[in-house]
Amino acid sequence: MHMADALLSPAVGGTMYAVSGAALAYSVVKIKNTDLSDKKVPIMAVSGAMVFTAQMINFTIPATGSSGHIGGGMLLAALLGGGPALIALACVLAIQCLFFADGGLLALGANIFNMGVIPCLLIYPLIYKPIVKGGMNKIRITIASIIAVIVSLQIGAFAVVLETMASGITELPFSSFIILMQPIHLAIGIVEGIVTALIVSFVHSARPEILDQSKDGRKLLNKVKTKTVVITLGIFTLVVGGVVSLFASSHPDGLEWSIAGVTGDTELATKGTIFDAFASLQEKLAFLPDYDFAHGGIGGISGTTVSGIIGALITFAIAGIIGLSISIYKKKHKREY
Amino acid sequence: MKMGIGEIYSLEALSENNTCIHKLHPRVKLLCAFIFIVIVVSYGRYDFLGLVPCVLYTTVVMALAEVPFSMLLKRYLVALPFCFLAGIANVFIDRAPVITIGSVTITAGIISLATILLRSYLCVVAVLLLVATTCFTDITNQLRKFHVPEIIVEVFEMIYRYIAVLVTDAKSMYHAYVLRSVKKNGIDIRHMGSFVGYLVIKSFDNAQRVHSAMIVRGYGRSGPIHLRMVRKMTVGDWLYLVLVPIVLLALRIVHPL
Repeated sequence: MHMADALLSPAVGGTMYAVSGAALAYSVVKIKNTDLSDKKVPIMAVSGAMVFTAQMINFTIPATGSSGHIGGGMLLAALLGGGPALIALACVLAIQCLFFADGGLLALGANIFNMGVIPCLLIYPLIYKPIVKGGMNKIRITIASIIAVIVSLQIGAFAVVLETMASGITELPFSSFIILMQPIHLAIGIVEGIVTALIVSFVHSARPEILDQSKDGRKLLNKVKTKTVVITLGIFTLVVGGVVSLFASSHPDGLEWSIAGVTGDTELATKGTIFDAFASLQEKLAFLPDYDFAHGGIGGISGTTVSGIIGALITFAIAGIIGLSISIYKKKHKREY
Repeated sequence: MKMGIGEIYSLEALSENNTCIHKLHPRVKLLCAFIFIVIVVSYGRYDFLGLVPCVLYTTVVMALAEVPFSMLLKRYLVALPFCFLAGIANVFIDRAPVITIGSVTITAGIISLATILLRSYLCVVAVLLLVATTCFTDITNQLRKFHVPEIIVEVFEMIYRYIAVLVTDAKSMYHAYVLRSVKKNGIDIRHMGSFVGYLVIKSFDNAQRVHSAMIVRGYGRSGPIHLRMVRKMTVGDWLYLVLVPIVLLALRIVHPL
């Protein structure tokens, strides 16, 4: 479910950064108010590292022969409580993005929202907590985990679809994207729900105080605060929906849109002798110079020629040559010393 | 469980090199990586040719920083499948022919797939280059300078360090499990609860012990110690910070290909 940079537009990425940033800030303030922050830090860190590790452990799914791994948002929330879980998960996602190319830097905000904010701040207080409220036992934990994980994965998958659609990079129609995403994540959700339930009930039977501790932390919040979370998130969702649809409606992206606003065209007019010289040079060198890419109806392709492809190949070659020569030069230089 | 600890920290090991890119101020590298990604992502979805010049930037930085290409490529391949799946749909849906070379017709869908793949390559490499050329503590201190709340930065730092401990633990447990079971290529889902659950309990205890040990030795008493070691921006840093975005923006606007 990690979204990559390549599938997001800057407008959507930026908006999601703002939303997740606000949610994170909210969690930080909440933890500071509970005054447990000093004791919580190592626990949060180790739980985050644990989710990271758990994602590397493949488990076999019975009767299918295939294997999968857990996502861990709800597991963290059950162990730590919503706010700390969100912070830990955001850090895990940041590390995965920075060191393992899993999800992108621009997409980090969206990923934190889909996999962190939804399970930790939304589903955990609204579904998990009410079910286990009456007293923790194996059955309640199992029911709560499975339902909560399935619901949060469904909403998360739906958010992925919305964000991708708003970015307008894939051609996949909305309906088939939904049909593709939701059932897959239902299957993943059932398995992850069961695994989460197994882990939480094991911890509950072996060392209940680990779970109880986070429960005490939660007791400090009264109902009003939970309500505030929901309301804040609701408002944010509306704002996001508004902003995203504004950007996504007819303009391919913010930067192009703003350039168009300045010059009246999506590309700046290039004038001057140097450009003319290059243009004529390009025309002379170009292979099939007047072949047009554009066939009415395809919006983004703007009169590029096959010469462009050749140009691309040449650029790749130049890049390779520059790279190679720098490293060869460096190696020689080192040997001299 | 295929990844070893060496592999997890292999990028960080590179960050101890001493090239001109490594010497840049972490703030410059962080901001430039971000600007680069925003610019790359802002290209239109059929704009393969526009993206090509961006390859120059990553290649030059890669060569100057002496980062082996194979290491980046390996991680790019890990990131590839989802982008490929999202992009491959375009090939089947968007069949408008764009150019014909001989008997080969290139459709708009193929161009947009190629654009997605190139774009994800550029984004992934930009992030990996940032990490391969900047010390971990430099990055986190820079986050502190950007006023990211202390608790988030602290958790971020600790998770990164705890991963090694946990992976070692999990690995030995996994080996023990596999050695005692026949013909299994993973942990049976029935045992997943006790397996991870035990890992949770064990590491919670460990974490608290480690943290008490750290506090006894003075951790957190006077704020992060190395924060004072962040150096000032030099003229070269400023030049890089101004010139690179200008060149990238110019490429974005002028569109040479």
